[in-house]
Order: sequence, then C-alpha cells, then structure tokens
Amino acid sequence: MIFIIILIIIKNEIKMSEEKVIVANKGLVRADFAFWVGQYLDKFYDGLENKKIMGNKCPKCGDVFVPPRKICGKCNVVIPLDENWVDLPETGTLMNFTITPYRINDRTSRKAKDWTIGMIQIDGSNTSVVYRLLNMEPEDIKIGMKVKIEWNEKTKGDPSDIKGFLKV
Amino acid sequence: MQKVGIVGYYQVKLYSDANYGRYEMIFEASRGALDKAGLKKKDISTVISCTNDYYDGRTISNCFTVEVGGGYMADESKVEMDGAHAVLYGLMRVLSGNHNLAAIWGGSMASCYPYHTVRLYETDPTWERSLAYVNDVTSAGFQMRAYMEKYGVTAEEIAKVAVKNKKNAAKNPLALKEAQLPNITVKDVLDSGIYADPVTELMVAPPCDCVAALLLAPEKQALKITDKPVWITGVGYNQDPYYLGDRDLSGCKSMNLAGKMAYNAAGINDPSSEIDVAELFEANAHEELIFAEELGFAKKGKGIEINSAINGDLPINPSGGALGGNPPCATGLIRIIEAVKQLTGEAGDYQVKGAKRAVASGQVGMCAQNNIIYVLEAN
Repeated sequence: MIFIIILIIIKNEIKMSEEKVIVANKGLVRADFAFWVGQYLDKFYDGLENKKIMGNKCPKCGDVFVPPRKICGKCNVVIPLDENWVDLPETGTLMNFTITPYRINDRTSRKAKDWTIGMIQIDGSNTSVVYRLLNMEPEDIKIGMKVKIEWNEKTKGDPSDIKGFLKV
Repeated sequence: MQKVGIVGYYQVKLYSDANYGRYEMIFEASRGALDKAGLKKKDISTVISCTNDYYDGRTISNCFTVEVGGGYMADESKVEMDGAHAVLYGLMRVLSGNHNLAAIWGGSMASCYPYHTVRLYETDPTWERSLAYVNDVTSAGFQMRAYMEKYGVTAEEIAKVAVKNKKNAAKNPLALKEAQLPNITVKDVLDSGIYADPVTELMVAPPCDCVAALLLAPEKQALKITDKPVWITGVGYNQDPYYLGDRDLSGCKSMNLAGKMAYNAAGINDPSSEIDVAELFEANAHEELIFAEELGFAKKGKGIEINSAINGDLPINPSGGALGGNPPCATGLIRIIEAVKQLTGEAGDYQVKGAKRAVASGQVGMCAQNNIIYVLEAN
C-alpha cells in the first residue's frame, strides 16, 4: 500500500520550475492523545458541569487559583486535594483583551466576524482565565469592567461549558 | 566566569520559502561555520543542536540530522528551545573542561508547517488548548495591550520600532527579503492588517526558514583558532510562570532577572552606558521596548525614548532583529551571531562604530516566558 501522497505543484510558470512536496501525515498514522486532567481539574470540571466555579487557595501565600492547582509555584507547596477549595461567583473583572480576525487553529482563514478574547479575573481569585467576550462592540470594551459568565445550556464538564463572558 | 570564545559562525540567508531540503540547510550552516574558522569535522568534540519535534514533523528530530549536523559518530545532544539556549548547553559543555570545540546549530523551516497554529500546542491540553483562544499571536495582543495600558505608550510609538527594524533589515543581506523595507512608514505598520488587536502584521516577527551555527572553544583553544575571538563574559536565564493569567504581561520579570544574572557575571553596573549594542529577540515590536526597559536601558515605560538607531546612543537590533525574519529555533542564535559580527567589525552596512561590548538575547514561549541573555566582548 502506498501511504504517501505526492503532490506536484507548478510554482512559477515563467520559470517552468516544478517543486515536489510530500505531505507526510495524510492517512499514514492517526495517533490521538488523551490527557488525564488530574484530580484537581477533575473536580473543577465537575463544578463547571453544574455551572459552578471552584478555585483553590495556597495555604502559604493565600493566592486563589482558577483553574485550581496542586502546587503553588511561588511558594513551592502542595495545596491539599481535600482542603482549601473556594466557591467563587460567576462574575469577574476584565483584565485584558484582544480582537482577532483569525481562527487560531486554522491560520489560513479569516473569520466572517472578529473574535474578541478577554483575560478575566474571577472575583475572589488572583489569576485570569482566557475566554471570548460575547455581545460586545469594541468601543464598549474597557479594561476593568465587570463581566459575568454565559454558560452553555448543556454542560459537559469541560472548558467549553463556559461559552464566554457578558457585560454585567 | 572562565572565558569561553566564539570562534566561528555561519547563517544561511532567511527565506520565506527556501528552495532547500532541511539536510542541505543544516549542512550549509554547520559546514560553513567550520570553514570560516578553518577547522575540520574531526576538531568538533561535542555537538548541540536546536530543533523542535513539532516544527520538524517528527519525533526525536535530531536523529535525522546526524550526518549533516556534524554529529556523525560523535557526542551529540539536542535542546528543544531557542538556539540561544543551545548555546548555553554548549557553553556548559566547554566549561566542564572536557571539550575543545563545541558546535551548536539550530533552526527550522517555517514554510513547511503552519507556525502560528502549531504554537497552540504550547498551551495546556487539559485546559486552554481545546478552546484554541491562545497562541503566539493572541498572547502578543494581550502583551502589547498590557504594556500600552500600564505606561500610556501608543501604537504609533510601538510601530516606530517596527519601522526601525525593517529599515535596518534592508541593510542586512541575510535578512528576509519580505522584511527588508527601506521606505516603510509608521502608517504602513499601523495599516498592515490586524493580527490580534493592537498587534498588526508588520509588528510580528515573520516566521521563515533558516539554520545558523556557532562554534565555542575554551580560552586557550580559542586563541589558537582565531585572533578575533569574541568572549562570552556573562550569561543569565530565567523563566516566568506558565499560564498567561498568572503573569503581569506589561513587563517581563524573567528578562529582568536574566539580565541581572548576566550583568553580575560580566561585572556590568550601568548597562545603558557600558553596553555598545544589543541584539534582542523581539517576537513582536513591543517586546523590544519591554526587554530594553527590563535590561536597564531605560526606565519602565520609557523604552521609546532610547535612541536605538544604528548610529544612536544604544543601537538595538541593527541587523533588523527578529522583525527581519524569525526562523524558529534559530532566531536567538542569530542574535548572538549578529552581536559577534558587531564586535569583530563584520556587520557591513549596519556596523555600529567601535562596538566593544554587546548583549544578545533569546526567548521561548508565549509572551517570552523564558529568556536568556549573553554579554559578549571583543578580544
């Protein structure tokens, strides 16, 4: 069986040169990776499924992490799995944003409509999460403004349960 | 620190779509460095390569470079970061006292894969990756906005960095042709199309194809090889937290700490007066300003006030920097090579007059998560 697809592209008609391009991965092997998210994110995703945000707090410096972590990098200590969980609201502060016409997972295409992506610090936490900002015109967006989660109607217990953030 | 000398280098010209196979390009660079130094393959005692499995489309990607990269039946190892980090590994090998010549090469061909898409694979597969909101371009949008908001710097001021570097690139025959823009204006940069607001296309270091190589030798050996060695007198490296949401993107703390470590080794107290030229790996125009400030060339938010032209007070990226072409895994290594050229008087039309001491930096990760900087001095 031949697994390699050979494409011949006429690149420059004036030069009449030909370039052979071998596309190496087409149909050869499919090796999907599955990642075990770990006990901390497991609990966090269970929370998302129930439309709840949970963070955890470093016992030493008191920083609250969303998503939760096993280890506080700054203090180099373990945050115990059965302690220091913090229930957080679905509101937060917009810390930063960018607007892009590109799909990240397909750099060749421009989207019909720009995407606005924000860094949001959930109230009561010390870190930011990156999500889309929904129903906002560029001129409405101000760093420091209050936003709240727009949940997907049906949740699955993964990052996509949060559709994005809306202006409060 | 014991003195280690840079005794040879070679850089393949940057192309957006090079008419080379990878093997040929690696060979041209590693052989070119040996030829320039008047050395032979047998003189190499250790080889450090810098490639990335994702960028090469294969696992353990240094296994296919044995014959062409000087590693044939030899001591060889790989660094999967920036080429400037491979130089650190080579430096450590030489400092161990066991090696007389370390050959370092790094690079890839961005024309063979969708670079900005592949950068998504740096994100956490259990958290951010599935939503595909974060890559090098959107994170650069966050970084530029954070810097502008905190210090009141304007997009016009940041565009001036791109103008300077693209004009400098026009003087550098090895820069990317598409980045050699002698007549570029601030308006051209601002109107060049939004990548991730406020970052525009001409503010982004354009991914391209290249391999570069460098040779390191201990002091005694270096003086036998060349009468113009360039000495590594300091090196510093540091890294920021992984998640973007854990960092203050308006600055770059890891670059600040890397700079202090390198200055301490080299005995530098006042960087802005003691350094003659800087080659910094700026993945985006605004990063040059952030780095210059973190390295003590200007106060925070005042990077734009530095006269960083080729004939200025502290020339930054006279070669055009990464805005003159960004070949993944080679860019930081090229910054070191460009600094070496300045110190040996080989920089041609972009030569900084009387340069005796330079710094050169490399980086890897979103918003320059990991930074490395070298202090280099002329013999």
